[in-house]
Amino acid sequence: MASFTKASADTVLWNAGADAHDNISARTYGFWLYLLSDALIIAAIFATYAVLNNPMNAAGGPLGSQFLSASKGLLQTFIVLGSVLCYSLATVALKRGSKVGVSLGMIGAILLAVVFLGIGLGDLAALSAAGNGFARSGYLSCFFTLIVTHALHMGFGILWMLVMLVQVGVFGFTENVVARLLNLRMFWQFQASVWVVVYIYVYLFGGAH
Amino acid sequence: MAGLEFHYTLWITGIMMLIIVPTLLMTIIFPLRYHHSRNAKYTPDWHFSATIEILAWAIPLAMVVVLAYMSVSAIFRINPWNAPELASAPGASQPPVKVEVIATDWQWVFIYPDENIATIDDLVVPAGRRVQLTMTATDVMNGFYIPQVAPMVDAMPAMVSKDAFEIDQPAQFTGFSTDFSGAGFSWMQFKTRILAQADYDAWVKSVQGSPNQLTYDVFTQKIAQPQVNYGATPSYFSAPNAGRIFGMVVMDAMNGKTYPVPDSLTKSVASNEGKAPASPAAN
Amino acid sequence: MQVAVEGPWSPLLGRLTLDAIPYTNPILIFTFVIAATAGLVAVGSVLYFRKVGYIWREWLCSVDHKRIGVMYMILGLVMLFRGFIDGVMMRTQQAIAIGPNSPGYLGAAHGYLPPYHFDQIYSAHGTLMLIFAATPLLTGLGNIIVPLQIGARDMAFPYLNAVSLWLTVSGALLCMISLFVGEFSNATWVGLMPFSELPSNPGVGVDYWMWALQVSSIGTTFNAINIIATIVKMRAPGMGWFRVPVFTWVMMATSIIGLTAFPVLTAALCMLGLDRYVGTHFFTAGMGGNYMLYINLFWTWGHPEVYFLVLPAFGLISEIVATFSSKSLFGYPTMIAASMGIAGVGWVVWAHHFFTMGMGPDLIGFFSAATMIVGIPTGVKAFNWLFTMFRGRIVFTTPMLWAITAILLLLLGGITGMMLSASVVDYTVHDSVFVVAHFHCMVLVIGAGIFAAVTYWWPKLFGFKLNETLGQWFFWTFVAGSLLVFIPMFQAGLDGETRRLDYLFDTSLRPLMLLEVAGIGVYFISVFFFLAMVVVSLVKREPAGQDAWGTGRSLEWLTHTPVPFYNFAVTPQVHALDEMSWRKANGLEKTQPSTYVPIHMPSSTSLPFIIGMLSFVCTFSLVWRIWWLAGASLLAAILLVIIRSFDKNEGYVLSAENIAEMERKLHTVSLVAEQSKVLPVGGHAEAH
Repeated sequence: MASFTKASADTVLWNAGADAHDNISARTYGFWLYLLSDALIIAAIFATYAVLNNPMNAAGGPLGSQFLSASKGLLQTFIVLGSVLCYSLATVALKRGSKVGVSLGMIGAILLAVVFLGIGLGDLAALSAAGNGFARSGYLSCFFTLIVTHALHMGFGILWMLVMLVQVGVFGFTENVVARLLNLRMFWQFQASVWVVVYIYVYLFGGAH
Repeated sequence: MAGLEFHYTLWITGIMMLIIVPTLLMTIIFPLRYHHSRNAKYTPDWHFSATIEILAWAIPLAMVVVLAYMSVSAIFRINPWNAPELASAPGASQPPVKVEVIATDWQWVFIYPDENIATIDDLVVPAGRRVQLTMTATDVMNGFYIPQVAPMVDAMPAMVSKDAFEIDQPAQFTGFSTDFSGAGFSWMQFKTRILAQADYDAWVKSVQGSPNQLTYDVFTQKIAQPQVNYGATPSYFSAPNAGRIFGMVVMDAMNGKTYPVPDSLTKSVASNEGKAPASPAAN
Repeated sequence: MQVAVEGPWSPLLGRLTLDAIPYTNPILIFTFVIAATAGLVAVGSVLYFRKVGYIWREWLCSVDHKRIGVMYMILGLVMLFRGFIDGVMMRTQQAIAIGPNSPGYLGAAHGYLPPYHFDQIYSAHGTLMLIFAATPLLTGLGNIIVPLQIGARDMAFPYLNAVSLWLTVSGALLCMISLFVGEFSNATWVGLMPFSELPSNPGVGVDYWMWALQVSSIGTTFNAINIIATIVKMRAPGMGWFRVPVFTWVMMATSIIGLTAFPVLTAALCMLGLDRYVGTHFFTAGMGGNYMLYINLFWTWGHPEVYFLVLPAFGLISEIVATFSSKSLFGYPTMIAASMGIAGVGWVVWAHHFFTMGMGPDLIGFFSAATMIVGIPTGVKAFNWLFTMFRGRIVFTTPMLWAITAILLLLLGGITGMMLSASVVDYTVHDSVFVVAHFHCMVLVIGAGIFAAVTYWWPKLFGFKLNETLGQWFFWTFVAGSLLVFIPMFQAGLDGETRRLDYLFDTSLRPLMLLEVAGIGVYFISVFFFLAMVVVSLVKREPAGQDAWGTGRSLEWLTHTPVPFYNFAVTPQVHALDEMSWRKANGLEKTQPSTYVPIHMPSSTSLPFIIGMLSFVCTFSLVWRIWWLAGASLLAAILLVIIRSFDKNEGYVLSAENIAEMERKLHTVSLVAEQSKVLPVGGHAEAH
């Protein structure tokens, strides 16, 4: 027979204690994996942007260097980072178990996010009104898609925060609620990181001033 | 060039056989030899051997290095954009014959800018001269292929691709499209005729006198409109401004000009499912 | 926002009109009669045997990984059959429509399928076989086996698992309904660009294809998340990384591909969707679009995708060869390295799918060399299998026959793949049926692996073996059919037969086409053997024991046969790689736990099924541009998810007494038993 290690008198065959899994750890790990896949979608859009960001794909219309304002983008960056800061304060409050603190942090995050969206989407509206909408050229299609994809992520995060405001109030800090708050923290920081890359790569590298 | 491709196909396959054949033999011999009824040597503990692993990684690696070297050097030799292979062919000393190829839905248009003629579905070139092809398409991606003659290169809208070949003896081949382009795709064949230089010159003269004229308007309004040339019947045109048409077609595509194929047309190709009556398919 | 599309559009029904129903097409009418009859028989039987509640509670609402896996495999099998019929139609059309004097029937000028119909058939054939047959079959196997092999009770996220299944089903439903309402895509399974844009494809076909692919790829991404989290977080105590069975390792590599590659497809299809729905210019030929970008993005997904499909098959072959050689798998560490290597290298080779698209020789050279490198880890795997058999004690059971055939097919597919990776060769056979024959060889490797695995693990899941004799008849006829269809196809490709031809102008291809159609006939016979095997096995039902084949090596063989819904009554402690062999060597495989402890199980829920159906309604409405319905169903799905998040859904607890009782009466807890009738002491077991 093949040589396997020998069992002894005190070899344990069954381990009853093994069922106690750390659910929050499993859930945040799974959500982290989801964020990796989301990052790949964003990466594909960035690759598209890299390809389409040249005069051949402007079809006679403008490229980012002609209408993007790096300083306005910087303002937006500060706003979104401020929103992340609010949510981080909410997480500190979570550690202390303070429902009020968590709720205030989330409300701050939502308000700043709404301001950000107003600026960004306002920019897109202005471009469209000037005849440079998403159907004008390949470059503009990609630019709009990049900004709108990020905006959709923010919008989804805002919706999630609104739901969590209700759940924190109604349930308090149950295991489910805490897992969701932690996942939302990862999601919110993720979308802000994506915005920072958008800012650097689209506004700074390719923008006017 | 086709000969070169064949040469490499044989060599690459042959080198791989050095590993494939022994592996094939092992796959057949081992199960038979070690079948439980044969009572052959049984070593249930043996499940790792550093020697075998090193060989299993190293031998394929060596083969891949050899094959990769062959493949890379081959592609530089037959590079459709600028083939060194052709630089050493007999026709290299003479100016090349330039042909501009436009793939439409679903025909091949060949324009000869220097001779001011054009054909549909018939590529006629002289033997012993290098033929330089510049290619584009009106609408969708197509694949230009004459198997015994030139490497396959795609002809694409709003883009210009290049191919080149030289055949030294008169011959006749059939070229076709390899990239699916819609309902009429199966009928996108074209004749390729290599004529002796004198015959070619005579042919050019006769086409230059053709009453059919190919202008940019004729091209966009009639020839480039989606249609199937069921028997790949060639047509011949004189083309006074031949050299300008190609550039205009490329610019059109870049500016968004398309030749829409409505569903009714798709349904009517080679069938009576559409509103139009069935087109005859027999020659 | 909406682009101008061909045909009428109404706010209530979008582009949907009565004209969308092809009631003049005799082939589709025939298909509809068959499909409707099959559906009526299925639904009728359920009603007649009064199993509606059972099917709903125990299957449609289930979050049990084994049941979800079985449902995945049933979906895969049905789609495999439909894809096969598509293949039959393609072969017969190409056997008739050769040369300008070939006859035409049923309204077609040559053969019996006009291009309009034929082009949809091969697009559907590719999409169905890859996305809705191979992927669900392999996902199903992974779902069933991975938790058992690592000693877990279920996947890490059982609810997400069910959602993945029903999203995939909704994509398949979209493909099925395209048969009878509207048309399917004629733009091939990859979505040729710029051909898939509105000017060349103003109908709904491409939209059906796009949404089906999109929905199912989201399901697959979720499944990848699930498998990775399960393997990382839920292994039994004592199972360090180098005691993880090889199939689970391979599923880890596969899921890493699934997690990282599928999002690229999602992005590419979103951009195509924007082009077709709101008029952007990502992939149009003009106005600044770049259709080569789509081709690059698609194949950046497409190449890892084929490794996503073939790696699990390799893992299955590893398991089966080791078991039926009564020997440990040779070179376990290098098998793991090779799997990860294949997954990694598969990311940098995508451009070999379009060597002819006009890259310069330096790029082509890089991709050619990189593609060849993949052959190295694949070769290592083949050698490891062979040396597993070397000095083993081999039994020619049906799974082993399939596994050995898979290795032989891998050699044939591999050599032709290496030929194609040399771009100089590819320049002669790109887009010819030589490529088609090559990848069908690889797909047959996958198929052989699946058939091997189904036969191998069937007794563990259902408690009885599949009939060996009929299984071997199925095997031999399937292999004969495969050889008859695909060996001539290699020759035809070298002779210049392009792929996707509705009509062949070259009459010299006729003998090869006749050989291929004879092969399809042999395949047909094999289908009958397959059905006979299943029916006879169900009728005879010879019970199988815990170690059904006698030489099981890995942990899943330690469970009872058939596996109870909770898998293991008490989580096992793992002592070695090949834990079952270790226990058998120490005489401990039959030893049961002396005491039981309460188990926490997830509750079944109807929401995944509802989400799946809502996604079907949403994508169907998007295809037909029925905006109100698309919006409403999407909103409903989001609202339901939010509402569910307010549910406590803590699952239920089985007490130690319950478990002791169930361990005594194992037939009450098998895969097909009424598990919701198991009323635990102190807890609830009903579906939400």
